[in-house]
Amino acid sequence: MEAPQEDSHTPSNPIVFPPEADDFKEVTYLQQLKYMDKDETPQIPRRSTRYSASTSNNVPEAKVNSSEPPTVDDLLVGGGPISLDDLISSFPGRSSQILHIVRLLGPLNSPTPPLFIYGDASTGKTSIILQLFRHLNRPVVYSSCRTCYNHRILFESILNQLLLHPKNASNGYSNAKRCERPSDFVNCLREALTTVINNLKEKSEKLISNTMTQGGIGNMIYLIFDNFQLVREWDKSSTILPLLFNLYDMLKMPEVSLVFISSTSPDTFYSNNMSYVEPIPVHFPAYTEDEIRQILLRNQPNPKLYSSFLDVALRPFCRITRQVDGLSTAFKPLYEKYCEPLKNKGDVPSEKTKRSLFIHIKPHITSSLNDIFKVSSLTSVESDACKEAKWKGSQNNKLERFEEIGELDFHMSTSAKYLLISAFLASRNPATLDASLFDSKGGSDNRKRKRKASQKALEHKESFEEELLMKGPGTFPLERLLAIFQCIVSVAEEPSDEEEQRDDGLGVPGGNDGLMNNVLLQLSTLCNANFIFKGKSCPIEGSTRYRSTISEDLALKVARSLKFPLSKYLYRR
Amino acid sequence: MGTMAAENHKTKALNLLRSRLCDPKFIFQPLIDSPHTNFSKLKFMISSSVTEACNNSILLQGPRGSGKTEVLDLVIHDLFLEFPDSISLIRLNGLLHCDDISAFKEIARQVCTEHQLLFSKAASSDDNSQFMVAMLKECGLAHKTVIFILDEFDLFAQGKQRLLYNLLDAMQSVTSQAVVIGISCRLDADQLLEKRVRSRFSQRKLIFQPPSKEDAQRLLAHVLTLPIDSSFPHEYAVEFNNKVQKILEDIEICNKYLRADSSVKHLLRFLFCAISDMDLQTGFLSWKNLDNAFSCVKRAPKQECIRNCSILELYILVCMRRLEVKEQSLCNFNSVMKEYKSIQDSFHQSSDNYARNVCLRAFEHLIDRELICFTDNRAQSLTVEYRPVKLLLSPAELHVGLKAYDPRLCPPILLKLMD
Repeated sequence: MEAPQEDSHTPSNPIVFPPEADDFKEVTYLQQLKYMDKDETPQIPRRSTRYSASTSNNVPEAKVNSSEPPTVDDLLVGGGPISLDDLISSFPGRSSQILHIVRLLGPLNSPTPPLFIYGDASTGKTSIILQLFRHLNRPVVYSSCRTCYNHRILFESILNQLLLHPKNASNGYSNAKRCERPSDFVNCLREALTTVINNLKEKSEKLISNTMTQGGIGNMIYLIFDNFQLVREWDKSSTILPLLFNLYDMLKMPEVSLVFISSTSPDTFYSNNMSYVEPIPVHFPAYTEDEIRQILLRNQPNPKLYSSFLDVALRPFCRITRQVDGLSTAFKPLYEKYCEPLKNKGDVPSEKTKRSLFIHIKPHITSSLNDIFKVSSLTSVESDACKEAKWKGSQNNKLERFEEIGELDFHMSTSAKYLLISAFLASRNPATLDASLFDSKGGSDNRKRKRKASQKALEHKESFEEELLMKGPGTFPLERLLAIFQCIVSVAEEPSDEEEQRDDGLGVPGGNDGLMNNVLLQLSTLCNANFIFKGKSCPIEGSTRYRSTISEDLALKVARSLKFPLSKYLYRR
Repeated sequence: MGTMAAENHKTKALNLLRSRLCDPKFIFQPLIDSPHTNFSKLKFMISSSVTEACNNSILLQGPRGSGKTEVLDLVIHDLFLEFPDSISLIRLNGLLHCDDISAFKEIARQVCTEHQLLFSKAASSDDNSQFMVAMLKECGLAHKTVIFILDEFDLFAQGKQRLLYNLLDAMQSVTSQAVVIGISCRLDADQLLEKRVRSRFSQRKLIFQPPSKEDAQRLLAHVLTLPIDSSFPHEYAVEFNNKVQKILEDIEICNKYLRADSSVKHLLRFLFCAISDMDLQTGFLSWKNLDNAFSCVKRAPKQECIRNCSILELYILVCMRRLEVKEQSLCNFNSVMKEYKSIQDSFHQSSDNYARNVCLRAFEHLIDRELICFTDNRAQSLTVEYRPVKLLLSPAELHVGLKAYDPRLCPPILLKLMD
């Protein structure tokens, strides 16, 4: 698990922002910083950085260190010292927030009431807080409510860190304490905090006796709760939220402070049966256009060229979104396109080349504005960046995946494709028209009806479309899906004797048992993949209803790959 | 060396003020001297039931952060000094022990740690409740008053109230000697009790009110004045106190800041912001610090959210507002998109006409920010486009937000579309 690339980092400039930086190592470092919670044990990056920090001094000691039992020092954010100026310069546009938080946290050993840091996704909340504690060199317990996805895991993760209990193979990845109930948690937490604070006090007393007042880590310990907004969706949020908000008052330990990091504002946490004294709010506003420019320009090999690119591209994109992660993904291919006419990417562009480049890129900008965020085939670095963007997009990856898949040539068995199409048809077409659409002539009725379009029919059509727009795809029982499936398979398999055989099959359900078995298997696969939604069984009818969740585009693409005339069967008025 | 010392005492002053604000004992200290406060009433009630060896139950009520627990702590602290051997304390919190099982367990645990008994984690809830009754009896025989502090009292009133019933029922016997003190932010906390519990609960209530303006000013003076003794250079401390005095005497400003927040805790939070903002170069508190702290504590989250939006996201918000005005029965992404397209068509704006998937992403961003939300909780079967949504902004908020948005970027058409 140890990340060897960490060793090559010089402690002076390890912060990397934005994530699209060319240096792959730096990207991984950022991810470790930002998504430290992805690894179950945040100690790992810390320990490895501690290792790297000590290698510069003397190697043998470092080796001894790695086998030593963990100490309070492990609660520090790793990466070596960093000055406040470095910190501010590595986060453009965030100096006022950084200074404000520094002032709120105050000098060494000074108590702080809980803080509530909030701001949109990708505004640098987590990175800044972690780097700030690295600068202050004070111990933190960082836990993200994203990886600790329920209260028990959160409790145990906090206690593991406080009890200096790394999960590893030697202890079978077990937790230091098992605690499920809030009451047990608070008792254990109080105990663990007391020991840690006593350790810290002993340590700082030693430092004072050694007349080394500088570089002490103080007696304070900070509990950081990242992605705090997610707690609201937990099962027991109604008890856990007030517990965490009131934790500071409950513990009555001035040496402990809490930092909540949330992507939603404090007012989204109000609910009618909960009250607490609000923590001190600190807002991270979205970046302005200038700040985004500064951020994107960081770590560019040719800043002049990139800056002239941003002159053209940034403003229109900023009208769509002001999130740095989304913008950086969108700019990557666009910048490559921008550089295409240039022979040497290292050149500083003259006014003339700028103009020709502008003419070159202009049409691409307008088109790429409309497929911003579209994910094309993924290289490894890119996929990391995309993952990050999606990570933020929380629940909606369902849709994104569809778009992505439509572009890609994805693999699916033929019967699954037919099943998908039949599910789509069953969701879109009214059930009453099945008979006429799927009779032996195969949907030739459709045209006749179209010719007779009257005023009334037009109105009807509008209301139908309206309904489709509002209600989405309809639901259908399994029987209907299978009937349509059989029909379209029989249509697709042209030979007439085949068709007769199908009819037999319809008449005698036991006739093609093997096919039906297969189909049910395929269906459950499609349900698991969320292409078809399987509802709970209806209390009135008693049967399970299904719903197709795919878009028309995707259905058409699938049909095209089968050379199936989907539009012929699609009911439109 | 001289400058170092100067820096030092300024930092020291800052540290002192910060730790004062985080120390409830210090904050509520001035209450002890005056006779008509809740402190003295509460102390009288409890100490009389300790000396007269009787049972009692009291309910402390008041808004969150008005110092109920802190005052009680001070009282308990005093009582421990007065009667060191005849009090035993058990603390429960409704947030932690609202179910009976963990409440009885916690009582057993606290009793065991106090009397150096062996606490068994495996003991059943029934064992624990019997243990509690036996303990009450023993303590009564030993003339020891058991004080139960039930923080977040209203949460104990959920469910079957077995704990409260057992506790109060055990107190009905002559032998026991216990005081139950409930702390709640709900003024109707006693109404939540079952009949059998309420009849056993004495109706003594203490209401904690937010501090009056005078009290608040006294509190500020108490917190902000530096001690004039050897710990700080005399001149510095005197000047610091003078400046604080001047600030406190300005009635207008005090009105502005003290009216804004009602409870003591909120006031302290405001003061903390102000003090942490203090300039260590001069080492004195100034108006500016108070102003900054005021803007830090008083926030308009919805306006901030609107300011963070991109132009496209503003368009979507305005479209949703227009749909609201039209009183459409159901609003989802598709209907918003229809409205958006119609706006784009009718105004021929080429620059802000975006494709559907781009709008969908902006729509999702708005959902993440909680400016709009889904109205159905469980319709996971539908994809985002079809799920009904509603706007979480009032028209006035949206209007103010649009006006406050950077005028160089915000298209004027948006405000027009709002009307």
